[in-house]
Amino acid sequence: MATIHEVMSDTPTRDEDQLLPDGEPIEQPSADTPARGYTDEQKYRIFNKEFMPHIDSMYNFAFRLTTDEDDANDLVQDTYLKAFRFISSFEQGTNAKAWLFRILKNSFINDYRKKSKEPAKVDYQDVETTYNSEDAESEHTVDLRAESVSDLIGDEVATALNSLPVDFRTVIILCDIEGFTYEEMAKILDIPIGTVRSRLHRARNLLKEKLRDYASSMGYKEENEE
Amino acid sequence: MQTSLSSSSSSDTKPEMKEHCDHRADCLKMIQLILDGEATEQQLAGVKANLESCKPCIEMYHLEQEVKELLTKRIEKRCCPEQLVATIKSRILTFS
Repeated sequence: MATIHEVMSDTPTRDEDQLLPDGEPIEQPSADTPARGYTDEQKYRIFNKEFMPHIDSMYNFAFRLTTDEDDANDLVQDTYLKAFRFISSFEQGTNAKAWLFRILKNSFINDYRKKSKEPAKVDYQDVETTYNSEDAESEHTVDLRAESVSDLIGDEVATALNSLPVDFRTVIILCDIEGFTYEEMAKILDIPIGTVRSRLHRARNLLKEKLRDYASSMGYKEENEE
Repeated sequence: MQTSLSSSSSSDTKPEMKEHCDHRADCLKMIQLILDGEATEQQLAGVKANLESCKPCIEMYHLEQEVKELLTKRIEKRCCPEQLVATIKSRILTFS
């Protein structure tokens, strides 16, 4: 995999190439429009008309992944510069948002996760192993009522979400916050749809456990105040 | 997708409310598919009756719906800083 320096350099490298849609493009090019060979004018038009409108969603995604404003800034900037550099592999009029999210997610994994203070990788593997071994996916439901969580405020929900291992957090952001379909998520994350479904299911169980903890600590506070 | 939902209706076709669900985990998966807009017509038809008559499933549905709403409506949406937009726009002009 590409090192940070390779990816950051201005010369496209073989490794960097692999960060972008390769064998299977995010959308199949239609027969009548060539995928490559945009003029400079076309490149800037695509960039401004199709890429820039997603910048708030991209920033939001970057911030939820990194949980840090400076890292989110860097990640979004790197992603947009890569998107421009590799604009010829984007098929005009196709799903730009999914294409951009895929680049951002790959940049995050390759560049930021490595230097991140958060031991996300280890946590994730622990959780994944635990869940697989207990076959929790098929047995596990969280005992919680809708009314118990309906009073939680945004910050509490965000903290609960941020406390999830990054791969679980990612599927929830993509599905529930950004509204991607399972098929789009499979392409963004390079995993089969079945894995999207089961990872989302586990992620939600974990999130509900966190929310339950918040809800019960809130209930405890209320009792004490009375 | 194979679920055991249909088998429950053969032994229990009464329209009254079920207080207990034997397939909570499978039902939960189906509920999430429905709320995510990913269930097929066939899957929807297969679980509709159960979802209307099973109390634990109705409660799970409401919880999943509530959690989804918390995520979409309560979490603060951050806007990209103006400065970053300006930086990106000026950086790409130096390309090509």
